Amino acid sequence: MLKATLRSFLAHKGRLLLSALAIVLSVAFVAGSLIFSDTVTRTFDRLFASTSADVTVEAKDDLSSQVPTGAAQTVPAALVDRVAKVAGVASAHADVGVENITVVDSKNKSVGPTTGAPTIASDWFLTDRSPVKLTSGHAPRGGGEALLDADTADKKDVKIGDTLTVLAQPGTFKVEIVGIATFTTTNPGAALVFLDPKTAANQLLGSADKATGISANAAKGVSDTVLKQRVAAVVGTGSYEVRTADEQAKSAAADLGGFLDVIKYVMLGFAGIAVLVGVFLIVNTFSMLIAQRTRELGLLRALGADRRQVRRSVLTEAILLGLVGSTLGLAAGIGLAAGLIKLMSAFGMNLKTTEMVVGWGTPVAAYAVGVGVTFVAAYLPARRAAGVSPMAALADAEIAEIGRPLRTRAIVGSVLGVAGAAALVGCATATKTASSASFLGLGVVLTLLATVVAGPLLVRPVIRVLGAAFPALFGSIGRMSQRNALRNPRRTGATAAALMVGLALVGDMSVASASMSKSFDEQIDKTLGADFVIQNANFVPFSKEVTDKVRATEGVGLVVRQRFAPLAVRLPDGKRIETTASGYDDGADEVAHVTYAQGDTQAALAPGAIGMDVDFAKDHQVRLGDTIPVEFPAGQKTELKVTALTDQASADGFGMQGGLFFGIATVEKYVPGGQDSSLYVNAASGTAPDQLRKRLDTTLDPYPQVQVRDLADYKKLVHDQIAVLLYLVYALLGLAIVIAVLGVVNTLALSVVERTREIGLLRAIGLARRQLRRMIRLESVVIAVFGAVLGLALGLVWGVCTQQVLALQGMDALAVPWATIVEVVVGSAVVGVVAALLPALRASRMNVLAAIAHE
Amino acid sequence: MPTSEETALSTPAAQYVPGHASAGGIAARARGLTKAYGSGETTVLALDSVDVDIARGRFTAVMGPSGSGKSTLMHCLAGLDNVSAGQVWLGDTEITGLREKELTRLRRDRIGFMFQSFNLIPTLNALENITLPMDIAGKKPDEKWLDQVIDTLGLRDRLKHRPSQLSGGQQQRVACARALASRPELIFADEPTGNLDSRAGLEVLGFLREAVDQLGQTVVMVTHDPGAAAHSDLVLFLADGRIVDEMERPTAEAVLERMKRFDSLRGPSDGDGSAASADVNLDKD
Repeated sequence: MLKATLRSFLAHKGRLLLSALAIVLSVAFVAGSLIFSDTVTRTFDRLFASTSADVTVEAKDDLSSQVPTGAAQTVPAALVDRVAKVAGVASAHADVGVENITVVDSKNKSVGPTTGAPTIASDWFLTDRSPVKLTSGHAPRGGGEALLDADTADKKDVKIGDTLTVLAQPGTFKVEIVGIATFTTTNPGAALVFLDPKTAANQLLGSADKATGISANAAKGVSDTVLKQRVAAVVGTGSYEVRTADEQAKSAAADLGGFLDVIKYVMLGFAGIAVLVGVFLIVNTFSMLIAQRTRELGLLRALGADRRQVRRSVLTEAILLGLVGSTLGLAAGIGLAAGLIKLMSAFGMNLKTTEMVVGWGTPVAAYAVGVGVTFVAAYLPARRAAGVSPMAALADAEIAEIGRPLRTRAIVGSVLGVAGAAALVGCATATKTASSASFLGLGVVLTLLATVVAGPLLVRPVIRVLGAAFPALFGSIGRMSQRNALRNPRRTGATAAALMVGLALVGDMSVASASMSKSFDEQIDKTLGADFVIQNANFVPFSKEVTDKVRATEGVGLVVRQRFAPLAVRLPDGKRIETTASGYDDGADEVAHVTYAQGDTQAALAPGAIGMDVDFAKDHQVRLGDTIPVEFPAGQKTELKVTALTDQASADGFGMQGGLFFGIATVEKYVPGGQDSSLYVNAASGTAPDQLRKRLDTTLDPYPQVQVRDLADYKKLVHDQIAVLLYLVYALLGLAIVIAVLGVVNTLALSVVERTREIGLLRAIGLARRQLRRMIRLESVVIAVFGAVLGLALGLVWGVCTQQVLALQGMDALAVPWATIVEVVVGSAVVGVVAALLPALRASRMNVLAAIAHE
Repeated sequence: MPTSEETALSTPAAQYVPGHASAGGIAARARGLTKAYGSGETTVLALDSVDVDIARGRFTAVMGPSGSGKSTLMHCLAGLDNVSAGQVWLGDTEITGLREKELTRLRRDRIGFMFQSFNLIPTLNALENITLPMDIAGKKPDEKWLDQVIDTLGLRDRLKHRPSQLSGGQQQRVACARALASRPELIFADEPTGNLDSRAGLEVLGFLREAVDQLGQTVVMVTHDPGAAAHSDLVLFLADGRIVDEMERPTAEAVLERMKRFDSLRGPSDGDGSAASADVNLDKD
């Protein structure tokens, strides 16, 4: 029996090729993402483990804000003396290292990385663990001198002797580059500027008495853990975080790993889509193989093979396919990881492909996914194969397959569909975001399953309509292609399902993102009253100098600053919520249209007062006039009185839960050293906005990181940010389509083989090759468009429901991007044409005589 | 269309003037037609320098034992297969040397086909199958002629049926109608009764006869059934790739007798390796 299985596997290897390709793709993404993240983690663990001091003391980071405040967390520099005196400390050093700076060259161009990696300024203190060494020039000797890292110098063409401007929180200063430091380890992509220690503390932190941390090295024979305990005992753990080298390395790698995690999840998303779509392809391939081999299986049964043996034979074939696909996928995954690593180096992160880490988990995951998916996908076809009666050896196989009624599918599909629809209705009517979102998830899964199950039932009615114009447009060729697509609804349904899944996601996401854009537009129109908004890229705060210069610009009227403060509030319902609040200057009413349920802006911005969103207040039983305890970073605590409740659709996202806000004085008091995140600027009376814009642009020329935006620019910014999400979706779509095309190719190729005689007959009675190709192309197009229509219909329903969830978050406008939808339908027709290329070519090359040959 | 000057009649078939008023001229002609399979030592001659004229307005049967090359002859005459040597004309068009595209058009516009099995497109109904060659060509069928064909074949109440809803005999009648519908110069029928029971077979042969007698069509039928051949005006006997004999106004008994004679003549050579391999090689057509 095994021999027969192997023979059959080898005999059908051409047919299995496309399925194998789907497995290879999904395994490649799984393996690639694992290898990539393992490699990155290992590299950075090593980097930070080798460069961290044995024990590090830093200010406790108790309120990790998702929104940057621009303030550097500091410790008193004098702490170094206390640490140095601890028994077992061989050496201690007060470190200065900040990321809240911008460095520009003489032409006011930013010298920092453009990839989102930070620019770090720190004190030049060389130890045997430093990640850099001085390779040319000399160390900085006091104010006005600095080192730059070699990669940045190279990329931005900075040479020794050049003058750079450092925009730091305490103020701007100029430095001359006196030397170049080169990374001795992996460069994580950041730009590094080194100053001499005293200058660093003064210029970067504003005082020589401050440091950002204390690093201590252990004396011989003292372990890091022991030293950590001793240091902690001396400095106290109330306001300081004491870490060993290992812990520090992990924490640093975790900070840096954030955006690498995004890459990992995107890759796993790709793997997921590849697996999901691949399953359809595999199920379809095995179903078709078994339909083709019904006679052969019947013969096996007639010769005495029992059901289990037949089923096992098919499943063995599936496992073989899975093994082959996984192995190739693993290899492809290594290639993919190597490509990603190369890509990272283009972003300035010098990972080495030679140090690629393939952990034991990677092949395990690869084979588990590859073999597991193939096995599961082949299970149903295998069961069907086992059900083949010995009589089938005598009967016509194909007809038996087509003739099977779809009643089970109709019942299961309807039940799932009704349940799914109910869940979606639940989603639309729920008033809580969490329950609405979970209803949405449930509804999406159920309706997807329902459509997949009932797909073959929809083939007839939908394709009748879709192909209705074919006979009129293309005559009998059109008629035949339409009816060929209807011939085996199961097969057409399964083929189209692969495309449907991807396009349903696209439909959903495009409706959601269009609705988000529209909601934000409306919100910006409604709330933003300022002529201009001045902001840094990514809401990173900027130095006070910018604010001062803007204020001093001729024609500037009102300037309202916005500053963020991480905080934790303890609410009357007993919950402690960590979030970020905004601080505003007086006059906020002039630049923003805020509606209040109770209170007003003036009350909210008064000293000791706080405003919040009315829904948030309701949820947590906060009433106007309540006094709530508030914790700020570095253990500062106070109580603020709730004096205003805003009543408007405001987005809770971006770590700003609750819409908390107060006067900017509160921020300055409890988060000292913070920087402004936004400036809302109105033109003074008598100054035209256009005129002011030009002047502001001139004023901000030395600060390339800060941009002036008017209402339209601001909308565009928001749109661009939403577009990033959309690009990701399109990339996923691309992958889904590639696999779906494989499925269509697969189905068509098999149909062509099955219809050899029919095609030959058509050719004999005078169908030209071109016409034959067109017939197959049209069939392909109608299958693809069927998948697209089903997918988009499903996606639109999901999208409308998703918008209902968004509406609970304040994004209450619904927009359906019809243009995108039309494009996708047209695109799917193109997909159909492309998928038909090879099968059509093959059919048109077929020997005419094959048809008229006698049995 | 061939002209009346077309009188180069060299095969015995044309030495007799056909007795039909509508007859005249040659529908198809082959000279030195040779078809070889394989190359070098393994070459097998399916057709060995065959000269044949198919008279217009007659019902010609091609008979021979399996492997005699009768199907190959039909394929070559119909432009379905390319020839190794020699020339073939349809009317006065030389089809040897035509390109694939021109051959396709020629088959579509000037030739009708009936096959032993799988004659119809399963997704099209009877009427759609009948008009298929004209639909492919983008031509309007001649309604009057079409009605006449449909009525002659008794298909009027079956037009909306799919092939799977028709009996074998009905399917073959639809195929016959399709072959006639575009009023081709020549209809090739390859074992049209091979898959039918004797009653349905007789019916189809009757229709082919009618097509010739009443509709003035020209039919070439390949068969190995003497009973079927008896319906024709002229039987050509093929053996080992050559036309070895012919018979005017055949009867089943006479044809059978003739066949038996060939068999007994061929008998001694049956043990011959080359003859056996020719059989094997031609089994596929």
